Amino acid sequence: MVKTRCGRILGEDICIEEEDTPTLYFINQLRAYQVVLAALKALDQDVCRDGCSLPSTVNRVIKRLGKLKNDLEALDVAAEKKESLLSKINSFLADAKKLPQDTSQTCRKSAGECLIGSGCFAAEAMNLFKAITEPEALKV
Amino acid sequence: MEIEQIENTQRGISIVLGALQAASRDICKNCIGLEGAKTKVGKMIKKLGMDLGAASISCEKTKTDFQTHINSLSKVTEELEVEEECECQKTAKNCKMGEGCFVNAALDLMKLVR
Repeated sequence: MVKTRCGRILGEDICIEEEDTPTLYFINQLRAYQVVLAALKALDQDVCRDGCSLPSTVNRVIKRLGKLKNDLEALDVAAEKKESLLSKINSFLADAKKLPQDTSQTCRKSAGECLIGSGCFAAEAMNLFKAITEPEALKV
Repeated sequence: MEIEQIENTQRGISIVLGALQAASRDICKNCIGLEGAKTKVGKMIKKLGMDLGAASISCEKTKTDFQTHINSLSKVTEELEVEEECECQKTAKNCKMGEGCFVNAALDLMKLVR
């Protein structure tokens, strides 16, 4: 079966066989987490660090990663492939848990520090997941 | 351009660059999407530098701090790793996430800056 490279995650080229849609779903999700977490790390250097939207987004990411991990564990794929993807999820989870998670702080707009208008970088960063339209979410 | 706008644009570019750096570690490194984004961000930074030059900022230190930040953003942009021979990775049938694109979605974060 011909394999194609469909992602590079945490320095590793990821190849799948044609029609391996379940694995492709996880690969695309992990590709997105790689970008989303990088954006959140950049926000952690910004005034967002002391606000409530970044922690709220971080908490959502941690929750989603937990669900992704459960879904992967329940999936019937080769053990080696599953292990490789699980290690990446665990790595992203560890990265996410280093980011602010305390949502009790004041929104930086309310504090008069964030002056970008009505939008929010942290909330918008989650929309990077919406760039993925294929394959559809797994029914696990 | 007002100081506030310069600051907002800097904040946006910093975040977009974070995302693009991550994309450059993915198969996007070989993609014209990232190549184009690198050019776009480079132009944004160049314009930001010109806007800063034209802005009426009385405090010399504030202006220098802005310029230092702009210079660091410029350096990060120049260092974004993109292969010399690029091809859309969807066309190359490597990127299989549908019509969307992480790089373009990251650039869209700049739309938040008013």
